Amino acid sequence: MAAAALGWALRAARQVLPSPCPRQVRSYYVDWRMLRDVKRRKMAYERADERLRINAIRKNSILPKELQEVADKEIAALPRDSCPVRIRNRCVLTSRPRGVKRRWRLSRIVFRHFADHAQMSGVQRAMW
Amino acid sequence: KDKSAASKDSAPEGAAKRQEDGAETPKQQLLDIIGNMKVEVSYRKKLQQLKASEKKKQAMNKLEGSDSEGSVPQGIAEDTQRGKPLNPELVKAASAVASSLPRNKKQTESELLAQLRRHEETTDKQKKGGIINIRNVISEMTIKRQSPAQRGARISGRVSLQLDEDGQRMRRGRSSAQPVDSRRSLKVGKRLNIFTKASTEPEHALKTVSSPTIWDLEFAKEVAAVTAQPPRNGFEEMIQWTKEGILWEFPIDNEVGMEDDAEFHEHIFLEKHLEGFPKEGPIRHFMELVICGLSKNPYLSVKQKVEHIEWFQKYFEEKKELLQEI
Repeated sequence: MAAAALGWALRAARQVLPSPCPRQVRSYYVDWRMLRDVKRRKMAYERADERLRINAIRKNSILPKELQEVADKEIAALPRDSCPVRIRNRCVLTSRPRGVKRRWRLSRIVFRHFADHAQMSGVQRAMW
Repeated sequence: KDKSAASKDSAPEGAAKRQEDGAETPKQQLLDIIGNMKVEVSYRKKLQQLKASEKKKQAMNKLEGSDSEGSVPQGIAEDTQRGKPLNPELVKAASAVASSLPRNKKQTESELLAQLRRHEETTDKQKKGGIINIRNVISEMTIKRQSPAQRGARISGRVSLQLDEDGQRMRRGRSSAQPVDSRRSLKVGKRLNIFTKASTEPEHALKTVSSPTIWDLEFAKEVAAVTAQPPRNGFEEMIQWTKEGILWEFPIDNEVGMEDDAEFHEHIFLEKHLEGFPKEGPIRHFMELVICGLSKNPYLSVKQKVEHIEWFQKYFEEKKELLQEI
């Protein structure tokens, strides 16, 4: 009886909470600019559908121009941070805005550091 | 010791004096060995308790017999000659222990032997009692004589069971019913009290399902945290990652997150959603283009596509006044 109850409770607990990871977890962003970038990304994700549809009305040769002008005004009225153009691909570890390789999301300095310590899989010093 | 045992075993069967003389030397050797052994206090107490009764009985027998206070081995031989159930080895050991002890040797020996005798009696009683109980059990049972016809029926029933494993089980039911009726019913007769009644399980199961308390959950979490040992090797690490969701499951399933139950025609033929729009005009033209684009889109689910079209419908509803001015 106790064993059955324990088993059921264990299954429930596992579903509710995944096993706690003992690894290091970063609880803060590197700096405020990174935080703002994160906020912009979230906003852009939320408003992406609306922006797409309003843009579909705007970039049109079939619909009347008045409608398109109204659509222009509407899209301009959306919050600034919802546009994807404001997102900057910063380095994930150092928040460096420039010199970031897209594939690894790391700045060139960090990338070099890890590659030299053989912590980047499949990355080798070029020599030819 | 084996030699002495053999000699002792032959003692009650054969003559007396001759064997005594012949068996004295190994006995003496053994006695010397045991006499030289140092006896601990606790062991002494235990021995006394075990063998006191034997000794008393032996003393009684000695009194009944002829020479009692004389040499110890002669007394032992006489006892064995009289066919008593005492193990001669035990008797011998008791005598040797008594000789090694500092107290009154004869008294201790008699006490020890009396104890031994009592012990043997109790064991015999238990054995006999066991036999009696089994007899009670067996008396209830009677040998069932099967007629050859019934035997043949049973064998055929078993054979048919084997043959009809994949098919119906009807035959087995019929064949088993008949022998049961012919046997005596199961509940007749005295209870043997061999088995204890099994506890009622389903009630307990119902109780556990209905009450998952917070304390149970907490305890379960604690147990899970304690039992979750760090991975011993790379395989266990990968297993843990798969459970957490970090690692995909192999072979890779391309449709892991997607659960699109809709058929292809629901994705492609979206004209039924265009009923809210006017049938002619630029809007209709625009919406048909939208639908054409959506039908070619494999990344959206049917729900998302429908939502897309509905958004446009709402949008144009709001702009109706503007459109009528044009």
